[in-house]
Amino acid sequence: MTKKIPLPVTSRNESFTERTVTKIWQERPSQENPYIAESARCHGYDLHELMEKRSFIDVLYLLFRSELPSIEESKILEQLMIGLINPGPRHPATRAAMNAGVGKTDPLHILPIALTIYGGNANAAGSIEATMRFFRKHRNSDPTQLANELASNRPMDIEGDWQVAPGFGSSYGGIDIMASKLAAQLSTLDGCGPSLTWGMKFAENLSQYQLGWYHSGVAAAVLSDLGFQPRVCGGLFQMFASPGLFAHGVELANKPRTAMPYVKDENYLIEYENE
Amino acid sequence: MSKNTAPWDEQRNTIHSTKGGWVVGKGVFNHGYSMMDDLVGKTSYIQVMVLNATGRLPQRKLADWLEAIHICLSWPDPRIWCNTIGALGGTARTSPVAATAAGILANDSKMYGAGTGIDSLNFIQWALSEKQRGLSTGEIIKNECAKHRGKPNIMGFARPIAKGDERVVAMQRVQKELGFPIGQHQALANEIDAILQRNFSESINIGGYISAFLADQHYTANEVCRIFSILVSSGVTACYTDTIKKPAGTFLPIKCSDIDYQGKPPRELP
Repeated sequence: MTKKIPLPVTSRNESFTERTVTKIWQERPSQENPYIAESARCHGYDLHELMEKRSFIDVLYLLFRSELPSIEESKILEQLMIGLINPGPRHPATRAAMNAGVGKTDPLHILPIALTIYGGNANAAGSIEATMRFFRKHRNSDPTQLANELASNRPMDIEGDWQVAPGFGSSYGGIDIMASKLAAQLSTLDGCGPSLTWGMKFAENLSQYQLGWYHSGVAAAVLSDLGFQPRVCGGLFQMFASPGLFAHGVELANKPRTAMPYVKDENYLIEYENE
Repeated sequence: MSKNTAPWDEQRNTIHSTKGGWVVGKGVFNHGYSMMDDLVGKTSYIQVMVLNATGRLPQRKLADWLEAIHICLSWPDPRIWCNTIGALGGTARTSPVAATAAGILANDSKMYGAGTGIDSLNFIQWALSEKQRGLSTGEIIKNECAKHRGKPNIMGFARPIAKGDERVVAMQRVQKELGFPIGQHQALANEIDAILQRNFSESINIGGYISAFLADQHYTANEVCRIFSILVSSGVTACYTDTIKKPAGTFLPIKCSDIDYQGKPPRELP
């Protein structure tokens, strides 16, 4: 048998761009120093004019959508962001932030740590893209029929909660009341669109099975209706929760390590399994 | 009506660990091993890393193979995407932990690094099952290429930037020196490699080599992903170390005009 000759390593000579392209931000250099910007525009609008005349929410929307929002769009986005500003001290991401704080981790790392955990798939940022695609696929279908179809196929071997569809499921065995309230409040606004409206009907039909909205589902519905692209929205969901995550983490940063529970030895059980 | 919250009530204030832990005054235990008595000084770091990731303590020679792979996949070249982040950490004056952690996170990618492991291993396992079902290697490739408009976009084969993969050659040498035979998955991977070389001038990449080898060693895709969590770390740290020694902000500095703005022209607020 002849010895196989490996393919020689050669460059693909891919055509990389010479300059990074952006449609978001334009910086004009100063006359004296080409590295120093003297003005900046976001999608064509002067940054200082935006500071003076528009809200943070409007500029956030502008960054990702390239146009300023209408009053209705701005209002529903702002209310969504307030609703999602803090996952609360029991969420794994917040607990990660608190753990970093009480563990005397550099406070600058508290937010990246928490956001990384908030990137998980369980009712967190990692599920947003799939949830938005779920709305895109189903928002023209009958929510009652789909809810009954999906909920009646509950697997028998579920341990813990069951996600019946992206953005919907059980929470500690029941319906997440705060997520339902968030959806209900947002659905009364003029900015409410077809995904949120459809989701309300879908959740209503799921309630008989003790299933309902997740916060991630509400966010995905509203962001879909606002025209954000699915790939963008996991990161937005992380961003919306950042203030609460950081606040909880830094609250513990100046406290002693005994300020959070440490599982007692008698409650630490080693139970090996055959892997 | 009170809901059944037993699955959560049973876990409150209690940790049920299947891995081990520190029993103060008695020792530190890991899958039944006493870490200080059974592992320290008797096993390599990589062996314990695999034990932690999979629950199984591998033979020393497999750990040696894994150590060689880690060398192959972490270079001090700041043009590699995760390494760029390490270098940017240095130029921005982050801590080495922050820069290295950020680089590690970057390699959770669908294009390179640890993030490609699951798809790559799943592919070779699926391909072997297809082969055992009666398909020829050529048919498997043809079917796979059909999913990508005729292009050989197969996980574990071809690579960004360059054709060919010097790391595979090095690892084949290491494998031989360590005495690992070619298993079923590797044999199939080599067949795919030969056909791709002949028909497309593409070849197996290091991810494909790793996946086939570890599939033959009976590791699952999820286990491989866990084993390789920090795969790129040392190259990222190297690139951080290079730029932290230089003035802040001098790693690939960018003039305003170096950015190609293609967005909306200046406009007045409504």
